[in-house]
Amino acid sequence: MDARQLHGVRFDKVSKSFGEVKALQPLDLEIKPGEFLTLLGPSGSGKTTLLNIVAGFLDPNTGRLIVGDKDVTALPPRLRNIGMVFQNYALFPHMTVAENVAYGLKVRNVRGPALKSRVDEALEMVQLGGYGDRGIDQLSGGQQQRVALARAMVIEPDLLLMDEPLGALDRQLRKQVQLEIRRLHAKAPRTTIYVTHDQEEALVMSDRVAIMRHGEIIQIGTPAELYKKPNSAYIARFLGESNLLPATILHSGNGETSYRIRGYEGNFTVPAANCAENEPGEAQILVRPEALKISQTDENSLRVVVEEAVYLGELTATKVRFADGQEGWLRAMNSPAHSVGDVVRVTWSPEDSRLLPKGDQADN
Amino acid sequence: MTWAAPSRGFRGRDQRLGRAVMTFMLFLPALIFLGIWFVWPLGQLVVLSFQYDGGAFAAYHELLSSEVFRTVFVNTLKLATFVTIVCAILAYPAAWLLTRIKGFWFSVGLYCILVPFWISILVRTFSWMLLLERNGPVNNILMSIGITDQPLKLLFNDFGVYLGMVHVLLPYAVLPVYSSMLKVDHRLLQASDSLGAPGRTTFLKIFLPLTLPGVTAGATFVFLLSLGFFITPALLGGPHNLTAAMLIDSFVNERLVWPLAAAASVILLVIVLVVLAVTSRFVSLGSSVVVK
Amino acid sequence: MKRYKPTPQAAAQIFGAAVLAFLVMPIFAVVPASVNEASFIKIPPETLSLKWYGAFLEDRGWMIALFNSLRVALLTTAIALFIGTLAALGVERLPKRARPFVIGAVLSPLIVPVIMISIALYYVTRSIGLYGTVPGLALGHALLCVPFVLLNVSVSLQRLDPNLARAASGLGARPTYVFRTVTLPAIWPGLASGGVFAFVLSFDEVVISLFIAGYSAKTLPVKLWEQIRVEFTPVAAVASTVILAFTVLLFIATRMSARKRTASSERSQ
Repeated sequence: MDARQLHGVRFDKVSKSFGEVKALQPLDLEIKPGEFLTLLGPSGSGKTTLLNIVAGFLDPNTGRLIVGDKDVTALPPRLRNIGMVFQNYALFPHMTVAENVAYGLKVRNVRGPALKSRVDEALEMVQLGGYGDRGIDQLSGGQQQRVALARAMVIEPDLLLMDEPLGALDRQLRKQVQLEIRRLHAKAPRTTIYVTHDQEEALVMSDRVAIMRHGEIIQIGTPAELYKKPNSAYIARFLGESNLLPATILHSGNGETSYRIRGYEGNFTVPAANCAENEPGEAQILVRPEALKISQTDENSLRVVVEEAVYLGELTATKVRFADGQEGWLRAMNSPAHSVGDVVRVTWSPEDSRLLPKGDQADN
Repeated sequence: MTWAAPSRGFRGRDQRLGRAVMTFMLFLPALIFLGIWFVWPLGQLVVLSFQYDGGAFAAYHELLSSEVFRTVFVNTLKLATFVTIVCAILAYPAAWLLTRIKGFWFSVGLYCILVPFWISILVRTFSWMLLLERNGPVNNILMSIGITDQPLKLLFNDFGVYLGMVHVLLPYAVLPVYSSMLKVDHRLLQASDSLGAPGRTTFLKIFLPLTLPGVTAGATFVFLLSLGFFITPALLGGPHNLTAAMLIDSFVNERLVWPLAAAASVILLVIVLVVLAVTSRFVSLGSSVVVK
Repeated sequence: MKRYKPTPQAAAQIFGAAVLAFLVMPIFAVVPASVNEASFIKIPPETLSLKWYGAFLEDRGWMIALFNSLRVALLTTAIALFIGTLAALGVERLPKRARPFVIGAVLSPLIVPVIMISIALYYVTRSIGLYGTVPGLALGHALLCVPFVLLNVSVSLQRLDPNLARAASGLGARPTYVFRTVTLPAIWPGLASGGVFAFVLSFDEVVISLFIAGYSAKTLPVKLWEQIRVEFTPVAAVASTVILAFTVLLFIATRMSARKRTASSERSQ
């Protein structure tokens, strides 16, 4: 397993439409060898289309797909050496666990003791040693999921593709398997493309996340980059909770941009690095709930009315209403209790805020 | 980089063509078979129907103008209509009973419908002949309980034909009705009950309209099958119970007038197609076909 | 036992039960008729005897007819399975909108009155030398059987998860290997039930057989038909019972295997 050659993947202007529907806009993307990349987006955003193009189940209309240094665009799925885990697992119902795992090896003419030892090894890896003779219908959902994973990995694929593999599991189990997949990936990195609509899953597991919408990748980056530096209100809202206030950009210069918040007096500033938008005019300011703090002074702060305080164990979430009627949340550890109706001032440090383009309000 | 696009497009077209060829190959045996063994023979028959002495439409003219032949067609339609109505009436409670029972008795009930599907129509008809005979068990029972002194003539007349046809075709009516009843969402009935509707209203306003497509589908099957039925009327009927199918048989085997046989069967087919065209406007017959 | 109130529901249930009994009871009248000792038919039989079964087995005519029936039914089943299964696989590859038309075309022999098919086949088989032959008869029966094979196999194909074939080809299997290891095992129940039904349909078929079996391919139902048009003999009842027994046994066999399948698939839920 250790001497494995890792392959990167390159999409070169790949696009796909079904009749009139453009499922995938022409797309360029590079996945590094050994990287765990997640395609994150709502259904219909094109993420599964993209995955099926990589697997060879769909032909792109234009563009090329390069795995390693080989153009595989014209290769049928069986010649691509790809391991795929399906949402419903797609385990062969008439075969035992071991027969399922052995399927790809038999196709590759692995026989006899070598076959048995590799199947056993793969089952050990997913902690299902000794389950080989069971029927698929005797396994729980989580176990079936792990058999699917073993079946995909045992053929030593150049690429591992997973299409919402945890979608059918309950929440508890999902967390467990997330960490399990993460552990396997850390132990033996393998270029992986993972498709999900669950943002938490994407953040936990991935080296990089590509957020898709309407057949396009609208932002790609590490989980931290995406959370801290979203390019649009859509992404900000998609990943975690956010306070978004309408703002007007006044001017930029000296490494910072100054703006005004609707309904309040005074100017605020944000470092130029935190501006996805810096043309003077309408914009939005993003402050995450955990960056919002109660302020004791009038300087650089906003007057808000406390509407609700929710106790969340070690955290307290406070719902506040801003001057223009917009509501927002503030989340802090052991924040001093406020009662409903209290008028308080809130503030944040400029580097914890981000200026975003004005669009993306309603269409979610 | 521009060279990539044309090569891709070419491969796509190539593959789609290969796929289409493969799909066509899968249909090829069916196409050849139906072409040679179904379309061609029927075509021959249609051609034949226009080759009677005295002009292209002479065979049709003779069939439709003769009192005797017209009566046969009218009788066939009457028989089909009667059998259809009786089957629909009998099928409805039987299907309903099937939706109300479970477990062992459900299996028994279901098999009562499925077993007749499998069993030879000839054997089923023969059984009726034995039962309805002059000295058969039905007459014996009727005499022993004093309903009649003399054996009744139950065979080789209208009664025998109608009874036998209903019995043979009834399963075709029950299954579509049953499957339409299964599809009824029981919450609708509960909703109607909870709104205070009496049972009769719930049945007439909710259950019956929702299951009517199944009744229509079943009635259509029975009607179409009885139009062309041969075995049962030929065995259970008397000289007066001549149906279209028996007429066609006699044209072929006794009078050796092929054009008349061909024309009569074309007329029968036209009636079938008209009935199908009319009923398929109301119900999707295809969805009721699957027997399971 | 619950006391029955004379509600419309109860009346309908009793009526329904009577209808179901009416459907199935009279079918078996041939069985007691076949075991009566006397040389005429009597229901219920007076003296039980299997002597007419002996007569049936010793009669060359009946035996030839029985073997003709079996040969025709086996050949019909093979033809119908071949054509119907391939067509069902083809239907799966068509766009959804095109499917009803193709299925309708394959099912159309069921719509045309059998008498018309029969005389049409009679007319053409004489000219191409298939009249009175086992293959000619089997091809004729296959017209009625192909639709059922197609429907049965289609149902299993629709239940087949398309991802299974994708998973197999993704693991490197060639299309033929995918078909053999994934598709075929999945449609096997449909093939089996379609095949058995085709066999029974052919074994029971009378009308087409009457017209094209001739003398040399005379089947059991044709021989039975000729017999009962003349007189009711205990041997005719025996022949009927044999046909009945064949069908009922096959019916029970398919039900048992279907039950086993549902049981195992329910276990997986």
